[in-house]
Amino acid sequence: MGIDRRTFIQVVTGGVVGSLFTPVIWKSLDDASIWSQNWPWIPRLKYGTITEQASVAKFGAAPCAEIVKSVGGSPYLTRGNAENEMSKGGVDPVSASGPQLMYSPSRVNGPMKKTAEGKYESISWEEAEKILSEKLAAVKGRKGKLAVVSGDATGTATEVLSGFAAGMGAECYLMPSDEQSAAVALSSMGGKGQIGYDLENSDFVLFVGADAMDSWGSVVRNQCIYAESRPTGEEIKTTYLYAGPFQNSTAAAADRWIPVAPGTGAIFCLGLAYHMLKAGASASASDFADFKTLVMSRFSPDKVEKATGVAGTDMAAIAKRIMKSSAPVVVAGSEFAQGVGAADVIAASAVNMLLGRINKEGGMKILPELPKAVEAAAGRSELAAKDFVGYLAGIASGKVAAPAVMMSYEANPIYALPQNTALAQAVEKSGFLVSFSTYMDETASKADLIMPNPTCYERFEDAQTPYGVGSAMLAASAPVAEPLYNSKATVDVVLGVASVLGIDLGYESADEVYQAKAEKAGADWDSLIEGAAYVSDSTESGSIKFAASVLSKAVTMPKGGEIALAPYSKLIIGTPTVAIPPLNVVAISKFELMGKDLMVQVNSKTAKKLGVSEGSKVKLAGAGGECAVRIHINEGVMNDVIAAPLGFGHTAWDAYSSGKGENISKLLTVGTESGTGISVWTSSFVSIA
Amino acid sequence: MQQMEFDTKWTMVVDVDKCTGCGACMVSCQAENNIAPMEDGSNKLKTLTWMLVYELNNGKEFPNREVAYLPRPCMQCGHPACVPVCPVVATTKDEEGGIVSQIYPRCIGCRYCMAACPYHARYFGWLDPVWPGGMDKALSPSTSTRPRGVVEKCNFCHSRLLDARQRARAEGMDPNKLPDGWYQPACLESCPTGAISFGDAKNPEHKVHELIKNPNAFRILESIGMDPQVYYISRRDWVREQSDNVAPGSHAENHAAEGKH
Repeated sequence: MGIDRRTFIQVVTGGVVGSLFTPVIWKSLDDASIWSQNWPWIPRLKYGTITEQASVAKFGAAPCAEIVKSVGGSPYLTRGNAENEMSKGGVDPVSASGPQLMYSPSRVNGPMKKTAEGKYESISWEEAEKILSEKLAAVKGRKGKLAVVSGDATGTATEVLSGFAAGMGAECYLMPSDEQSAAVALSSMGGKGQIGYDLENSDFVLFVGADAMDSWGSVVRNQCIYAESRPTGEEIKTTYLYAGPFQNSTAAAADRWIPVAPGTGAIFCLGLAYHMLKAGASASASDFADFKTLVMSRFSPDKVEKATGVAGTDMAAIAKRIMKSSAPVVVAGSEFAQGVGAADVIAASAVNMLLGRINKEGGMKILPELPKAVEAAAGRSELAAKDFVGYLAGIASGKVAAPAVMMSYEANPIYALPQNTALAQAVEKSGFLVSFSTYMDETASKADLIMPNPTCYERFEDAQTPYGVGSAMLAASAPVAEPLYNSKATVDVVLGVASVLGIDLGYESADEVYQAKAEKAGADWDSLIEGAAYVSDSTESGSIKFAASVLSKAVTMPKGGEIALAPYSKLIIGTPTVAIPPLNVVAISKFELMGKDLMVQVNSKTAKKLGVSEGSKVKLAGAGGECAVRIHINEGVMNDVIAAPLGFGHTAWDAYSSGKGENISKLLTVGTESGTGISVWTSSFVSIA
Repeated sequence: MQQMEFDTKWTMVVDVDKCTGCGACMVSCQAENNIAPMEDGSNKLKTLTWMLVYELNNGKEFPNREVAYLPRPCMQCGHPACVPVCPVVATTKDEEGGIVSQIYPRCIGCRYCMAACPYHARYFGWLDPVWPGGMDKALSPSTSTRPRGVVEKCNFCHSRLLDARQRARAEGMDPNKLPDGWYQPACLESCPTGAISFGDAKNPEHKVHELIKNPNAFRILESIGMDPQVYYISRRDWVREQSDNVAPGSHAENHAAEGKH
């Protein structure tokens, strides 16, 4: 049979019509498009039961109460726990990365010791504990031979370390923070307990230096309180002012930014006190007369203007505005949550005293410390007041002998200390450095023995009264996931080693310690681990004084005429303990990191004065070191000030943080505050080349 | 252009004055939507930021400088420019609620939609997504992983809408009349300042129904007619004025809006 034209057309037409009706072609195309994207290196999703559990995240600078979502037992997402008073809902950008930090490529997989060749060798926990016990047995009872440092100010774990250090006849320190200055300030004013601020009941909040929205105090709680006072679409209930050298997150959120030169927070507060005293303000403190004389003689508007950059008329208007408010509060701190003098806190407290705002609703509170779980441990304020930076500065200068053993818990001193080059070397001078770090950070990378602590998702944890909150409180959490690696809770390690060395801390396991803490505080353990916080309404009784003699020595007028450094700290870039979390990398501003270059910020007037322009590569030199940086012009910086972000320049960790930018801590200059003797580093000056 | 009308209009309202620019929303968005971490985040042409926080300023010199932060998800436009240009129907606006979909397996990576989007809300995966070590164990079950070579964007955490509807059905309620707060995207849940509000703008029982009528409420580039489902609120005139650089009487030439992150 031949194929004629008609047959050909019939076959073609039949084929076309048939192909339109058959699903085979369309299904094949659909499958092809799906399978062409189905590469083996694209991970499969894990399915399973989705669960939610309350937790207290210790990834951020302050504890964050959150709800952790897990799938098949693996955490993958967090959200704020609005039922918990400690952070009132919301999460900070480090805690938001918590699950990814749990699976971070920087995790230390198990205990390791450094070999003679300088490499790390995995060892068993038995061997690690035996090495530690032997090293500690050799220094037990020998003063100055052991030093312990903790980066966790709120955890009962630090009490265990402190109690252990006491049993060893050694010192336990906290990493530097605003709490240190506040503890020394309160002690100088004759008070006992812990300074807090009842921000939620205040109608006028003035932050001096303290970057409450990114680094000062309990940041998420501060943010939530701020948000509650200004419901979307409704009237503002509380006025916020920010005084500082750089338009940071707090300045951006505040109703007004008052540019104040770096390191002059105390002068600014005393300048306000001048106008208040002039308006007749007073307080019933034993040294009121001395304080008044000091302020009226040394902090007149012209002198204050010269030092801070704030005009006298403006200061008078601010003072008037504060006095007009019904529940004002003044909060002082460092722009980067460390290194501020006690004088700044005393000066702000003095303003609060003149306003009659001590232990008043919406004012400055003096909170009691929760009862200790470990009797031998130092009290919270006693521990906070110890000067770790001063101790290391002594070692660096050769005035103090380096310890034979140093133990570092939840801290990264080799990276995070000011005047970093010198003080990191002081840490390295320790005869035997033990790191309990969860991650391979700069300190772990130099340690002789690494005994990894699990993340806060894999262990019991608690947090008591974060610095700055307005009430004494306690939160706790149980593990939300099985341990990922061969890690062991540091509290259990320390309890075991203490037992070997004959030191009785009163407990045999970490969860016993945390439960005892809750019981002694009067909290219900079950409620705590279900996500509620225990909150105490009590405050310390007894009056405080102005500490005029301390202010007289500690507050000095700056020389002027130099380029001041205004470091700032942002949680998106990490914390002194945790480097940039993997998911945070893309959220870092291009005005802070460009490629591997750190961007520092100056306004156009300063840029002109320095002869630099947008993108210029310059070298900043401070007393302690140098940093190569690029310039970004930002009009939100004061004249003659260079604003620079902390948190970059890591040399350990992983590809998400290592080798990016410079560690500005190198440029910070450590000095000693007259009158209190504590180390301070908010007044650092730099030269440009 | 034809506009599909729905009985439900999922709408986001961002209080710009309350945003501190902390970036928690950007982090949560990545965790919820399985956006792989990137080693170099400073090349903003290659980053995938479904939620992006912009830094705005009033353009004035020190000491008169003011700054504000503006989180920008996909605007889920009423008249989306991206939908008609897609040659393979990989992006549609055809579901109750008005969320503009993005169907990754169908996308051929031509990027016409990116060119069309006036909000720069769409992103092309230039690089293979990599979760090093065990990081893939923290993948969310909510969103499929994508290979490189396709366009992706915010979808208001659409799987959460499906979850909320499922819950409504289980409780014998109308899945298209969800109570306020039942459906919330991840960015809202993590925001510590409550700057983000979310709900059905057509439902009088939802807070956003009133918020969008606030005298300080505005939308970005309203004059080009995209009818976005994302609103902003700011008391500051200079912030509102920057919202539309082609509107009559615009002061945009005096100001600077800079991509921060």
